[in-house]
Amino acid sequence: MKFTRRDLLVWGAGAAAGLVVSPVPWKVLDDVSIWSQNWPWIPQPARGPVEVKQSFCTLCPNGCGLRVRMAGGWPVGVAGVSSHPISRGALCPLGFAAHQLNWHPRRLHAAQHHGEPSSLSEAQAAFAKACGEGSIVIIDGYPGRAASSVLKTFAEKQGGTYRVVTSSESRALAPYEAWIDAPSSSLGYDLENAQTVVSFGAPMLDGWGTPGRFTWLWAERAGGMTDPQLRLIQIDSSFSRTAARAWQWVPIRDGSESALASGLARVLLEQKLVPAHGPIPPIALSEVAAQTGLSADAIQDLARTFVSHLPVLAIAGDNDPAIAALNIVLGSVGARGGIVRRSKNAESYVAADADIPNARAVLIDGSVPWDFAPQTEAEVFRFAAWDGGPSQSDWLLPSPGFLEALTDVPTAPTLSVETYAVAPALVRPPSEVMSIEQFLSVAEPTLIPVDKIIHSRCEELFRKHSGTLYGQEKTPVAKIASVQKLEEEFSKGAVWVDEPSPSGSMRCELKEWPAATPASRVESWTTEWPIAVLPPLATKLYIESNLREAPERRNA
Amino acid sequence: MSARYGMVIDLDLCTGCGSCMVACAAENNVPSLPQSTARTGLTPIVVRKVSNKMAGSARRETFIPIMCAHCEHDTPCVKVCPQQAVEVDKETGIVMQMPQRCLGCRYCMTACPYHARYFNWWDPSWPKGMEKSLNPGVAVRMRGVVEKCNMCHARMHSAKEKAAAAGKREIDPADYIPACVEACPTGAIRFGNLADANDPASKAARSPEAFRLLARLGTEPKLYYKSKEAWVRALAESNPAHGADQSQEVQRG
Repeated sequence: MKFTRRDLLVWGAGAAAGLVVSPVPWKVLDDVSIWSQNWPWIPQPARGPVEVKQSFCTLCPNGCGLRVRMAGGWPVGVAGVSSHPISRGALCPLGFAAHQLNWHPRRLHAAQHHGEPSSLSEAQAAFAKACGEGSIVIIDGYPGRAASSVLKTFAEKQGGTYRVVTSSESRALAPYEAWIDAPSSSLGYDLENAQTVVSFGAPMLDGWGTPGRFTWLWAERAGGMTDPQLRLIQIDSSFSRTAARAWQWVPIRDGSESALASGLARVLLEQKLVPAHGPIPPIALSEVAAQTGLSADAIQDLARTFVSHLPVLAIAGDNDPAIAALNIVLGSVGARGGIVRRSKNAESYVAADADIPNARAVLIDGSVPWDFAPQTEAEVFRFAAWDGGPSQSDWLLPSPGFLEALTDVPTAPTLSVETYAVAPALVRPPSEVMSIEQFLSVAEPTLIPVDKIIHSRCEELFRKHSGTLYGQEKTPVAKIASVQKLEEEFSKGAVWVDEPSPSGSMRCELKEWPAATPASRVESWTTEWPIAVLPPLATKLYIESNLREAPERRNA
Repeated sequence: MSARYGMVIDLDLCTGCGSCMVACAAENNVPSLPQSTARTGLTPIVVRKVSNKMAGSARRETFIPIMCAHCEHDTPCVKVCPQQAVEVDKETGIVMQMPQRCLGCRYCMTACPYHARYFNWWDPSWPKGMEKSLNPGVAVRMRGVVEKCNMCHARMHSAKEKAAAAGKREIDPADYIPACVEACPTGAIRFGNLADANDPASKAARSPEAFRLLARLGTEPKLYYKSKEAWVRALAESNPAHGADQSQEVQRG
């Protein structure tokens, strides 16, 4: 049989038609898709045995308990620790993605001098030269740690100064130093026993203090209740997240918090709604009404609401002496459910001023918020794990990132009791990374290393025989057999919590009403996050969901 | 006995912090790509803000987490899928999505009344080295397929393995908690077996304050919400993709 050209065309057309109606093209398309969806260069998760370790988040001074899942020696997931007595399993939204931070594109891997690559040895030589030529200033953003002790000791040995950059929550406690004989670092809020919490712009449900502490209190005693055990009154110029969830939102004009606190104190004192006697604030109620936009009647009603559900505690968003004075008028200072003194041994810190004259060198710890930009002629050595952009620093030195260094976790700024924990180093830092205390120990070899300071602090706690250790079980320190056992518990993620101080142990007298100060606005964690960058997954919050406004200065 | 896993979200306790969204993304190896937007990003759980449209002190706002409702009957996405890439698991009631079967036609996205499904437009990528931080229990999200909440299925597998190793047939409820539930700082999200009358989530779902979005469609979603506020409960018949009040702040993209 002869195979003609016509036969070839018929066979070709038949084959093409048959192929089209067969599953072959679709199967090929499907296989190509699957093949192209699994390119060899598509990242795959790390392999290795998964283990869970306990630690603490040290990205800000609130020290939340962390349960870290590790695979192949790397953290592959973090969650809160529900048995942590303060954070109670909660983390801030950024904390859940913090394990990605160590690979952030802005991670610092090498020293920089004026933006050019340099080395740690050159930085050490420059610092040693500067120390020999003049005074130094060391700035810390997370005081109370063993590392802070190293910084302070070095500053003292060099005849320099040690300064601290505090959070807005700590600054809100600063005015009390003028009226009581105690440093503000020894004070805290007894939220657990308060019945009414009046927030003057503080983002109580949006990143204030230790995440989990107030949110759980609110959820258990107030959330969704028409007559809650805990009344949250939010005085705010905008309908913030906290205002949306508060028992009462009091809208006032921006910046009039101080005037309203004075007006409320005036009503409380003039109408004898409180037992306190004190100086009447020198501001007329009509003036308060004009400044705040509230009516005089509304201000008087608000004052009566305050005292109808005691104890009442006023919380300022930042340093505001009038709000602190209002707490004194309300009898909330040194009282249960008010401002309490949690420690008699707390150190007093001098706040760092951005203007630093007459210094030869300024050393800034990685815990200092990136926004802190010193105005100085001195040579600035800044430690950071991430580069947040222009920083007014001569030297940018790479420091350990998330979970990369052993550190202790002292009491968080707003707590009413002393706490202590130890966060072990779970990850090895990159080779060129050096902590600020290691850097200083090169210049001053007699400095006591961090691990020895932590050991001595554990010994001190053991000798004190006070408080309770919250680990896998709740154990009074008095029942712990040895320092070694205590340290072992700490290494497994235990938290020491001291006994609450007796109320009434703090006397506070107001002789004259404080002068008004300009208000500063605190919005949420996005403005208080000390780290130079956000975890990449933070975009879920402000790009991929429109849940939040994009933070202006962050590089997620 | 087969379970019917579901969630009850107390909207009166949601502060809109977004921890659930970040924890979900971290757990499920969802990348954060620079080109992602509210319309194109993968957000298996997304928290939206809705208001009562009032002004001044009468204004009320609440936050409503939207995710796959795991419809039990006539599950819309299952019915339209030409690939059998979606099915309701008989043992758990979880609506399962199998990306290897999905051909990316996106019929299911159109069919989903909750707009809780997302098409994955891009290959997953992370900054150099960040792949070491990925969850080894979950695959990376493959391009060209539809994704959604699977109630952290990998966690259920881990719980089953743990139970099997202990010689048990049933998993311990404490071993199977989805990432969003674990992350919530107010305990607003309650997860459990709705078929068990004694399960706290099941009890919460039967509360008079509980409601389901678009329940009139008869798909028996296993995602319940709870609120004491009447205007919030009125959200039940609204389209969550556009929010209750169609206001700017709840629109996507």
